[in-house]
Amino acid sequence: MPKIEISLSDLNGLIGRRLTLNELQDAVLYAKGEIESAERDLVKIDIKDSNRPDLWSAEGIAREIRGRYTTKRGLPTFKVAKGKIVVKVDAKMKNVRPYTVCAVVRKLKIDKDVLSQMIQLQEKVATTFGRNRKEVAIGYYDLDKIKPPIRFTTVKPEGIKFTPLDFDRELTPREILELHPKGREFGSLLKGMGEYPMFIDANGNVLSIPPVINSDVSGRVTEKTKNLYIECSGFNLKFLVPALNVLASALADRGGIVESVIVKYPDRTLVTPDLSPKKSFVDVDYVNQTAGMNLSSREIVELLKKARYDAVAKGKRIEVSYPAYRQDIMHQRDIVEDVIISYGYNKIEPVMPKLATIGGNDSREVMSNKVAKVMVGLGLQEILSYVLSSKANIFAKMNLKETPVVEIENAVSENWSVFRNSILPNLMDFFSVNQHVEYPQAIFEIGITTLPDEKMETKTRDVRKLAAAVADTKVSYEGISSLLDALLSSFGIKYSLQKISHASFIEGRAAEVVVGGRSIGVVGELNPLVLKNWQMEMPVVAFEISLENF
Amino acid sequence: MTEEGKEYLRSGLPEQQLVYALENYPQKSATIGKLVGRVRNFPVALKWALEKGWAMKKGDEVILLKKPDSFDLQDALRKLEKSQEAEKQLIEILLQRQLIEKIVAHKEEARKLAGQEVTFLTPEIIKTGTWEKVRFRPYNVEAVGPKRYPGKRQPYVQFLLEVRQKLVELGFKEMVGPIIETEFWNFDALFQPQNHPARDWAQTYSLKSPKLGELPSQKIVNAVRDAHEKGIAGSTGWQYKWDPRRAMQLMPRAHGTAVSARTLAAGPNIPGKYFSISRCFRPDVIDVTHGVEFNQAEGIVIDESLNFKTLLGILKMFATEIAGAEKVKFLPDYYPFTECSVQLSAKHPELGWIELGGSGIFRDELTYPLGVKVPVLAWGLGIDRLAMFKLNISDIREMFTKDLNWLRKQPIVR
Repeated sequence: MPKIEISLSDLNGLIGRRLTLNELQDAVLYAKGEIESAERDLVKIDIKDSNRPDLWSAEGIAREIRGRYTTKRGLPTFKVAKGKIVVKVDAKMKNVRPYTVCAVVRKLKIDKDVLSQMIQLQEKVATTFGRNRKEVAIGYYDLDKIKPPIRFTTVKPEGIKFTPLDFDRELTPREILELHPKGREFGSLLKGMGEYPMFIDANGNVLSIPPVINSDVSGRVTEKTKNLYIECSGFNLKFLVPALNVLASALADRGGIVESVIVKYPDRTLVTPDLSPKKSFVDVDYVNQTAGMNLSSREIVELLKKARYDAVAKGKRIEVSYPAYRQDIMHQRDIVEDVIISYGYNKIEPVMPKLATIGGNDSREVMSNKVAKVMVGLGLQEILSYVLSSKANIFAKMNLKETPVVEIENAVSENWSVFRNSILPNLMDFFSVNQHVEYPQAIFEIGITTLPDEKMETKTRDVRKLAAAVADTKVSYEGISSLLDALLSSFGIKYSLQKISHASFIEGRAAEVVVGGRSIGVVGELNPLVLKNWQMEMPVVAFEISLENF
Repeated sequence: MTEEGKEYLRSGLPEQQLVYALENYPQKSATIGKLVGRVRNFPVALKWALEKGWAMKKGDEVILLKKPDSFDLQDALRKLEKSQEAEKQLIEILLQRQLIEKIVAHKEEARKLAGQEVTFLTPEIIKTGTWEKVRFRPYNVEAVGPKRYPGKRQPYVQFLLEVRQKLVELGFKEMVGPIIETEFWNFDALFQPQNHPARDWAQTYSLKSPKLGELPSQKIVNAVRDAHEKGIAGSTGWQYKWDPRRAMQLMPRAHGTAVSARTLAAGPNIPGKYFSISRCFRPDVIDVTHGVEFNQAEGIVIDESLNFKTLLGILKMFATEIAGAEKVKFLPDYYPFTECSVQLSAKHPELGWIELGGSGIFRDELTYPLGVKVPVLAWGLGIDRLAMFKLNISDIREMFTKDLNWLRKQPIVR
């Protein structure tokens, strides 16, 4: 969900109508936007559609609002003048960064607002739509400082030196990756490559190393720049073409004259950008069936025009044209949504569906709840913990040897790096931070533990468990075994306790809880070593049992 | 004398019975197995007989050593029955073995209290009628009672139970899914392309071990692959090469929608209404609005008759029933797996306008491969905001609080 900043006066200039902030609040809904904050002229808008990069700038938002608030409805058209500038893509690019699409924009009046929107759109498109520059890296250049033709080729890490943006001296590509902040940020995208991608002009001047950094000479765009060269590079034309179309359309809306660039690949030639509209259709019946409304084809055509489509009804089918920057339309449903947005979500009367269904809780939930009621009746306080834990907590502090656990690869913190296999460590953790609180402390938790299990589809098994513990100046095994007995007897469960050795408990004060010949858990008095590991100064008795076969 | 005491007065104390029993055997000895049936309360009998040196135990065999001339405890019981004095030492043992109660002594003490001021009203004072002749010391009845802490449910758990209850009342059936999911159920089945930013390392967790899970039936896998690669049900699809190995990767569930996808694939009831409240995991930076883990309330409604209007109807019902909202507003929204998508904004009587939920109609590209060809409405509710309001907390991390004082003092959520 890209968050973008715009100037309200600039936006109003683009819309061609003065909207107050209040009016804008409703108007941005048509661009799936929500105003996050507004301070004088600066408005922060959250655009919810992460699949519509055209909406991530003042130009795009204004275009959408114009359809609903002014007479400028229907398909927005963009002229592309035929240009002569050639970009030659080297055969070597195939395994490095195979594609680029480019455009020229002339006679652009770049003021503060235009520049800030250009930079913001570049950043948002490359980050969100361009998967953090991997799929789409974007460069803006001052065309007047470039001598075409431009070559898209590769260079050795120790190859040509040039001054990168915001730097005061020339560096080799390798040095850029090591020293420049952008090099350090995006250098990983070039990791393992013998040669790096590079745009070079006819004078041998470097334009940039995509996707890392532009040159400080031609790659610096300011309010003085008149004519602009834009390139998008990456691995897939499916991303690159819409990205370039979004950028070019925005600058066309600013009054720039868009001119095509001839991109010559070893095996083919592309002329970009192509801003001619795309075509599709929508069926009247499908619209009404999906919306639950009864719109005529004429009404649908009008609603589509407000959403910046051109639409012609042909019987029960409506043929539509839509702008080249839209790559989100995969199915009729996508067009239906635009129809309903134009109609207005809040003009539709909600209808409660008449469906005879029977509600119910999951049986394990029901059982957990019954168990919890007994535990509460026995006077214990329920607690709730995270199921993520650490090896230190579930093994070392419990005086247990490590066993296989479900482990996270990209943990945010060591503290939350494995899924718990037992709840008792959570109770110990809870006690350890409440030592200043009045005793006795009697607590329980019912929750999920997760264990590796080869036999399961997800190679893991969730086991619902109950753990209960009492900490006090004086505790007894009998005290905890009687709590356990009260619980199990309440459910009419026949069980026996069988003495075991368990490193978490004092030798001779731990037993397995056996039901139907199978162990369902353990009861005992915590080993002082475990207490020490948790920095506890109170004795603790506890039990933990599985609720799976309760 | 207690009931047990009266019985032993007649038949002798257990250890006495053991002596009698052994006496009847020619060898003056017998196995425990044989004796258990003949002697009342055998373990007690054996304990005392051994202690008094009347018998010895050799393996399983109990052997009579000597029969005492008299049984002083039974004698003492007899004396007491006749209101005669008995030896103080014997009385102590009888009291300890709960064969007599100290009622006689109390009665006398109670009588002595007449005319005095007493603190505690006792059964003896009632039984002897002494209560008519005593004054009761007045208490400071206006003092607040000493603190005690009842057993209680965890407030956030209690809140979730109430949400569950409400959803069940509204006709929703609960669904559950595994905490560890394959990317297939978390993403691919939901028509999220494999290069989608939400699948990025920074946005979702992945597992170090175990690494790969199993994919469902080939039929479902092929249909999902087709939906991604070339489209299905009139869609163009995402047009890229779908990688089954990527889909097999295991990850902690990132959203509850994974559970809905499994329900659809398992052949749901039509009409059907389902919900889940599921623990979800994302590698967020932890702060007042992002916990280590969070719960999502999600669900689906399945029926031929459903459409955008009924989607709004369901959402409005949630706003009224779950949040007690006075007004609702619907805003356009975006999710990769729903189209059309709606954000539900509700006017809470105290919180004002809040973003209550996200929803939409599942894309055909999602439902068709899972075998469901009728409209499916999908919804998610932002219940944590309501929970924080109800629990009167401002930091989301407090939902999983470790503060016992707070838990003890937190009023029960109404």
